[in-house]
Amino acid sequence: MNTGVKIFLFVLAILAFYSYVGQMVPQKITYPPETAELAADMTTEELAVAGAEIVAGKGTCLGCHTIGSSDASLRFPDLGNIGAVAGSRIDGMSEIEYLAESLYDPDSYIVDRFLPGMPAIGKPPIGLTDDEILAVMAYLQSLGGTSTVTLATTHSFTGQGASGSDGAGATPSGGAAVALGAGLDGPGVFAAFLCGTCHTIDKPDRLVGPSLFDVGSRLSKAEIYEAVMDPDATLAEGYPGGVMPATLGASGFFQKVSPEEIRALVDYLASHTGE
Amino acid sequence: MKDLRLIKDYRQKPLPALLPVAIAILVTAFIAALVALPAAAIPQDAVANPEYRAFPVIGSRVAIWVVAQLHLMFAAFVLAVPMFAVIIEIIGMVTKDKRYDALAHEFTKLLSVSFSLTATLGALMVVMLVVLYPGVTQYMVSIFSWSFFPYILLFFLEAVFLYSYYYGWGKFSPKVHLSLGIALNIVGTAIMFIANAWLTFMNTPNGISETGALLSMADAMNNFIWMPINIHRMIANVAFGGSIAAAYGAYKYLGAKTQEEKAHYDWMGYVGNFISISALLPLPFAGYWLGKEIYAYSQSLGITLMGGTFSWLFIIQAVLIGNLFLAANYYLWVSMERIEGAERFRKFIKYLLASIAITYLVWATPHSLVATVEEARKMGGAHHPMLGVLGVMSAKNTAVNILILTTYISFLLYRRGNKEPTVSWVKAGNFAQLAIFIGAVAIVIFLGIFGYFVEAKVRIALSVPQVAVVLFTMISVTIIDIYLYRGARSRGKIKWGEMPARAQYVLFFIAVTFAWTMGLMGYVRAGMRQHWHVFGVMADTSPDAFTPTLGFASNVISVTVLIFFSFIAVVFWLTGLAGKKDWEPKEGALIPDGEHADEEVVR
Amino acid sequence: MNILVILAVVVVMFGLRFLKPNALAWAAIWWIGVYLVFRYGVDPPMPTSILGMFMFIISLVLVAYVTAANDRIREVADTLIAFFVNPEYKVALGLTLVLLPLLVAFQVYSGMSGQPQAPLLARTIHPPPPGSISYQGKQIDLLTVHNPFRGLEQSDPTVFEAHVAGGRAVYYQNCVYCHGDNMEGDGFFAHGFNPIPANFQDPTTIAMLQESYLFWRIAKGAPGLPSESTPWLSAMPAWETFLSEEEIWEVILFIYDYTEQRPRVSEEVH
Repeated sequence: MNTGVKIFLFVLAILAFYSYVGQMVPQKITYPPETAELAADMTTEELAVAGAEIVAGKGTCLGCHTIGSSDASLRFPDLGNIGAVAGSRIDGMSEIEYLAESLYDPDSYIVDRFLPGMPAIGKPPIGLTDDEILAVMAYLQSLGGTSTVTLATTHSFTGQGASGSDGAGATPSGGAAVALGAGLDGPGVFAAFLCGTCHTIDKPDRLVGPSLFDVGSRLSKAEIYEAVMDPDATLAEGYPGGVMPATLGASGFFQKVSPEEIRALVDYLASHTGE
Repeated sequence: MKDLRLIKDYRQKPLPALLPVAIAILVTAFIAALVALPAAAIPQDAVANPEYRAFPVIGSRVAIWVVAQLHLMFAAFVLAVPMFAVIIEIIGMVTKDKRYDALAHEFTKLLSVSFSLTATLGALMVVMLVVLYPGVTQYMVSIFSWSFFPYILLFFLEAVFLYSYYYGWGKFSPKVHLSLGIALNIVGTAIMFIANAWLTFMNTPNGISETGALLSMADAMNNFIWMPINIHRMIANVAFGGSIAAAYGAYKYLGAKTQEEKAHYDWMGYVGNFISISALLPLPFAGYWLGKEIYAYSQSLGITLMGGTFSWLFIIQAVLIGNLFLAANYYLWVSMERIEGAERFRKFIKYLLASIAITYLVWATPHSLVATVEEARKMGGAHHPMLGVLGVMSAKNTAVNILILTTYISFLLYRRGNKEPTVSWVKAGNFAQLAIFIGAVAIVIFLGIFGYFVEAKVRIALSVPQVAVVLFTMISVTIIDIYLYRGARSRGKIKWGEMPARAQYVLFFIAVTFAWTMGLMGYVRAGMRQHWHVFGVMADTSPDAFTPTLGFASNVISVTVLIFFSFIAVVFWLTGLAGKKDWEPKEGALIPDGEHADEEVVR
Repeated sequence: MNILVILAVVVVMFGLRFLKPNALAWAAIWWIGVYLVFRYGVDPPMPTSILGMFMFIISLVLVAYVTAANDRIREVADTLIAFFVNPEYKVALGLTLVLLPLLVAFQVYSGMSGQPQAPLLARTIHPPPPGSISYQGKQIDLLTVHNPFRGLEQSDPTVFEAHVAGGRAVYYQNCVYCHGDNMEGDGFFAHGFNPIPANFQDPTTIAMLQESYLFWRIAKGAPGLPSESTPWLSAMPAWETFLSEEEIWEVILFIYDYTEQRPRVSEEVH
């Protein structure tokens, strides 16, 4: 064999060997950290993806709403088909305007069979920014329909969102977007995790869950503690199981709340004896 | 020397017209770069929103990666060869041995084509930067503004000195010629220093405000790892260049027809390898300094490098360096086969080999092991109680120091091969050398073990006395050896040209391993920034911002090295052309008288 | 260390000196001897990935030894050629030709027929720390933060002891269940976890790290690990919700004090 060819094959063999060694060590790709910021040039599709994250996370929407559930006992409208029906809910109101209204001013139109109870998303405690709400709208449109919203989209509520349009502008008292160990007091925890959406505390009315107006006289502190941390352990008569664990779980309550905060919440609830 | 006849026969062929072309391209590229970038652009904009263009099929990152690495490899070679050519020339002047002068000249023969290739690849890289990474380029230009001009100017000077050094061989008085060589080296080193400032700035940015605007160009240049990289590259270049020169010797040896040619190229391969390994010995120390500065700049960067994503890369590096040392020793042992009288040292080889094996094992032992759940349970964690101890710095420092000493002993035995000392104090001299060795090994091991019992700050500092002891040993033993073997009796001769072919392949192995190591270290130098262009200042927002797997990186490096050696094959071939006889029509072919005469005229 | 195995191998190796086998047999015996020491002489056994790498290096070294001298190469070549062409080795040759493929087949079989195992995971045990963390809403710069009680060791040993005792209480109330009585990562719950809890007695864990690093790991636990150390299955809680800042610093004091380790001191930046 020609010397040149031999050398070439030899070099090739060495390179193959080193490549092999390279394959033998652990293989891992490191991706740059995800940035939650909404870039101005995001496409509608990217916006919808970001919106889905906000819906599940900061927006805490899934604490009440379901996506694609046909359960007859739903407490709040299912969003599985919202993209298809948003444009025809109110005569003369466009899809975008309807979605914006239902996020910024939820009580102005209540879907049949449901009760009012949704907080304005653009205001504290949830306090999404205008841009974040646009992302949520893009996602909602994609549920059963086609997204058209971009960050350049405007509607009659533009400018009414929480301040700070850089996407990171969660207000300090910020809803369920509380950071780990924010050190809240009892009423703070009650507000932050939106307990009031399902429970009344200052009047004996029933909402989705039992009123907590007189909880301090009905239950001991230990029982309240159990009812918060493991809601299905003892169910109040007439209420279905599974609702509260799912709702609280979705809001990240069990991960985010600290022992001190739970203690404060229990004390706060125990002080409500119905008088 | 008999083989002189052979190498005196070089003919000065006209230079491949690549050089002017290359320089023209380079200058055009720079002008294009500076013109294409709007002068009024504000750097902050570029920092926030770098723009990118995509390279087809392989992507921008891999494209620029391969081209930059090729450029660096050729640049390393072009910078290294003049360094040892000048040193060999000086040795030739001092010893009056014409052989050295001829060898230095032969080494520089490899330069002209390589220089053109370096410039062309550099120009290609600049064009690619401007086209593919305009945002990054614009930012870098805003920081290093006018420093690009002296770079170009020095490039012209480099060309002038390089060609006058090469073509002026034997045309000037030796002193003038030597000064040309020294000037060539100074210019080359300056070029490298400037370019190093740009790239080290991307690792450890300095001299800028929080928004990335320039505060002081001097600080930006003199950033944390600029000097360590300068020194590290300078030494590594010599090691790399020496190995390529040795590979050239091996290539010519394998193709040699006559015994004289074989003897000459055997010797050339040996000298190239000697240069390469001598430079390899201090390289780990320079590397530790570099690592220390990276830690000093940012612990986060340091842990990414040594403990995080890239920790396994250093296990690959250990395999490469272990192979290099093993191959270098092996070459010396095989070489001793052709020295009459060296067979007395053969019995030591297995002990040297055992020492290499143990240190190689220690160096390649990872700290956290890849283990199944079952195995990890038995070990009580990811750290093996015994092997884990070998995975830390103290053990590795000790191992590499002993590895260096072992290689040095191989050199010493080779040197003594056919010599029999005649001085009266032979026993005392040998005893002193042995005592120094034993003392050095004992101290190195003691410091290594001691390192486990002290806090990290002291432990890191311990590497300094370890290195000092090893350097002291090498220097003092060499001095004793020189006097010990002064006027030594010869037991036989060195049979140059009787090397088995496998030893020549080992030279190729060393060259390829060096090139691959360079590729790997180049990758980690650039890769440790992870998703940053300029670490902590300018984020990489391109689709290539992720850090690929080591397997992928290995494949890219292998392909790059293959391209490099294909180019090198062209360089060897072109260089060989100069020594070939002129083309002549075949004897006996019927050539009409008239045409023949025409040809003579043309010639 | 399994002394018996090592001793047996050493005795056999010593015996080799008198038997004077040819180079090929010599290399083969050495390879097997070293393999036996690595495989059975080390306790706990080393992972197969490392064993493979070690044996590869040993093979390389033995090849280098055999081929470093011309006469040794000849000897090996002659042996091999004789083995293939001499009629007297016919039976042995036949056996080799049959057994070698069988051996490979067995290797493949045993590799495929074993119990299903979780894939090998190489985790980054000590990922680079972030520059700063937020502790209960307070920013803590990990590059500059120091243990507030460390200085007391020199200036006021009694108070220092009191803080160490405080750390002891924290440790035994919270950490001991996983990290164990002796801090060897072998507490009651340790056996339920993969990876098992960190072993602080190992000189290559906490002794290599600064106290600020431990603070970060304790405060943020597994949820706070950066993406690059995934896949991370650690069960370490984020203690910032349960312990105060002082308690974390105290327990760090206690961990170092109990294991007689010293924290890594941050280097002077020059």
